Amino acid sequence: MSNEFNKGRRKFIKSAFTVASALAIAKVAPTWAAPQGRSFKDQILTNDEIDLTIAKSPLLVGNKVGAPITINGQMPGPLIRLKEGQRAKLNVTNRLSEDTSIHWHGIILPENMDGVPGVSFEGIKPGRTFKYRYDVEQNGTYWYHSHSGLQEQLGHLGPLVIEPKDGDIGADREHTIILSDWTFEDPDTVFRNLKVAEGYYNYQKRTIFETFEDVRQHGLEKTWKQREMWGQMRMSPRDIADVTGSTYTYLMNGRDSAMNWSALFKPGEKVRLRIINGSAMSYFDVRIPGLEMTVVAADGQPVKPVSIDEFRIGVAETYDVIVQPKHNKAYTIFAESFDRSGYVRGTLTPEIGLEAEVPELRAVPERGMAAMGMGAMAMSGNKEEKGMMNMSGTDGHMNHEMMHKKELPVENIKIEHSEGGHGAAAAMIAMNPTSRLHEPGIGLDNVDHRVLVYSDLIGAQEWPDKREPERQIELHLTGNMERYMWSFDGKNYTEVDGPVQFRHGERLRLVMVNDTMMDHPIHLHGMWMELENGQYPRPRKHTISLKPSEKVSLLISADAPGSWAFHCHLLYHMKAGMFRVVNVA
Amino acid sequence: MYAKSLLFTTALLPVVAMAGHAEEGWPEPVKEYYTGQVLFDRLELTRTDEEENLAVWDMIAWYGGDYHRAVFKSEGENVQDDGEPTDLERAELLYGYLVSPYWSFQAGIGTRGTLSSDASMENYAVVSFMGLAPYWFEMDNSLMVNEEGDVQFVSETEYEWQLTQTSYLQPRIEFTANLTDSDKYERQSGLSNLRVGLRYRHEISREFAPYIGVYWNGALGNTADEMKRMGEDTTETGVVLGARVWF
Repeated sequence: MSNEFNKGRRKFIKSAFTVASALAIAKVAPTWAAPQGRSFKDQILTNDEIDLTIAKSPLLVGNKVGAPITINGQMPGPLIRLKEGQRAKLNVTNRLSEDTSIHWHGIILPENMDGVPGVSFEGIKPGRTFKYRYDVEQNGTYWYHSHSGLQEQLGHLGPLVIEPKDGDIGADREHTIILSDWTFEDPDTVFRNLKVAEGYYNYQKRTIFETFEDVRQHGLEKTWKQREMWGQMRMSPRDIADVTGSTYTYLMNGRDSAMNWSALFKPGEKVRLRIINGSAMSYFDVRIPGLEMTVVAADGQPVKPVSIDEFRIGVAETYDVIVQPKHNKAYTIFAESFDRSGYVRGTLTPEIGLEAEVPELRAVPERGMAAMGMGAMAMSGNKEEKGMMNMSGTDGHMNHEMMHKKELPVENIKIEHSEGGHGAAAAMIAMNPTSRLHEPGIGLDNVDHRVLVYSDLIGAQEWPDKREPERQIELHLTGNMERYMWSFDGKNYTEVDGPVQFRHGERLRLVMVNDTMMDHPIHLHGMWMELENGQYPRPRKHTISLKPSEKVSLLISADAPGSWAFHCHLLYHMKAGMFRVVNVA
Repeated sequence: MYAKSLLFTTALLPVVAMAGHAEEGWPEPVKEYYTGQVLFDRLELTRTDEEENLAVWDMIAWYGGDYHRAVFKSEGENVQDDGEPTDLERAELLYGYLVSPYWSFQAGIGTRGTLSSDASMENYAVVSFMGLAPYWFEMDNSLMVNEEGDVQFVSETEYEWQLTQTSYLQPRIEFTANLTDSDKYERQSGLSNLRVGLRYRHEISREFAPYIGVYWNGALGNTADEMKRMGEDTTETGVVLGARVWF
């Protein structure tokens, strides 16, 4: 009974407050946006039938006028709120001079509504309207974006929230936050710069003075040992993000840190934050100093609550967290680019106009031996060396994890590399790929608070298909930084003959091995991937981030006939050919 | 006939499905990407210890995809105010193929000589092995064979010490070896020339980076002996002022 009552109460307050807070922001935003000369639109579209108009319009981004692609006049696009069980009717009109498209990221829908030009449909020609129609069979936090060329980099994206059937959001209030990375450069120029000049955007390389300092501190021999491997491989431990804060302005709901996007709460309320990484290329580490966050959903799908202080969000992932600020003061929502080249902050506040202290950017991290697929070797190294090498995981952390770690299926899967590696397209092969789901990732190993790791995620419920996999597909993530080549199994999309074939109705295990030094968020359209992280129920993901030299396994029910895109969600990696079509037949 | 064509169509269907993105007229989701670059690694003014002023260039231009590229390399110098024509040290047109992650193999034709109307150019065939060696040594090794059958090997290696995020100290070494004697071009077999340089470069942008530097150039082996016999100086030093520019 009391449960029922609570649910009802929550439902009521939620609907009252989401509208109220939305109104408050919409009303207030122009006053502090005015000095920058931009009055912000924060449309929330809830109509039964929704019209979206794609256009290119000059808009103030940070403190400069840019030419983003806008959706209904705003960048990012409006928040679309659908309801589980409804039929989505979304009419997208193209007012650009080139083709466009919208892909509904993470939504289970028919093949021809998925919005990938060349895979699910022709694309939307200039002047045309495409009518997306599909039944909404899920709820949670998702997003939408262009799948045409590099339009996503120009801000052609927006949040998509699907309310559960019963309307219970498990909180008194909610806010949706979409993070993005903006550049005033032409995205085609960015891509060419990456292609012709390795490290173009990296202004955090090791200098010779740092080498001298290491020699002074650790001696010549150790410094040489540490440098040797990187030198032999012609790679840099500081190669973390391809495109960095040197060109990017990081945005939270379209505002930079100075504009300080703010969201309201009343002390004591439970606030659900729906956080979406809509970036083209940037991973963020998100925290709210002074507030514990309880993760309740990953990629829109409910997980058993995990309380943490910080989480890393890969490109295209979403996390829902619940916070319960008790004090009548402002809190900073801090999203730091994972290479520490920049950040964006917003504010969670009881009244508009307040702000809290903004943390400093942390030191530039370096990749350790584990990145080279030498995890096992690294662990046998002595303590001192580990410290010096900035190895993933302090001893304490590692031991702790080892004690609690369950045996994962992927650990018993022997990884086969094709004869002679993957050719010139792969500058590296992970010598000893390992499961790294229990590691928080580069730069977060030694923080003194709780950081979410993939092995923390437990599905909130069992998924319908409980079959064991009948078949296994292995894919390797490959790359060559020198020429900015990115591919699967050493072949980019234009070099493969056909799609990856799934048999309709089969249950299969997808094993992926990251043979590169970069993190990659891999996204499968049309079907969920259940992450085999040792937990049950397994968490479901639409986008899975692989660390360097990591191997993961995922279970897929091939229940969606048709052709689906499967790709790295780093925009320029996809453009370079790290893309496949999966055909379910 | 009808049955046959139906059979044919049915047989084709799986093939169409195999393409993944089936329908005609649809764009490719990912297209092949071609681009190019013109890079003047050295574009400089040199002051030699002989108090000569020289204008020097050393450039590479390419166009193509990830594996296949058309490459043009050119290098030369002009002694200022001596009334002599420009000396073209090499102008080569090559086809390059990426054979391993860091190395491309190139093959093509080249020409060199004095750029005046009465001089005859030396034409040659060339193969190069160009890329990045372990520990980030940037190398270009070329083997040339001219119309007379004379064989020459030229190797250039550059290294960069990162001083700050936008400045570099760059040593450079270049040597030439003749595998055969050449009467026509007055070349003696053996190691013939060594040039080492060091420059400090500062990036105004990634595309434009002025530098200052010094170099030492020396003739070696039989070549040096021959020059000594002719009473010529076998070594030269100089300072350079220039820019590394690409677009």
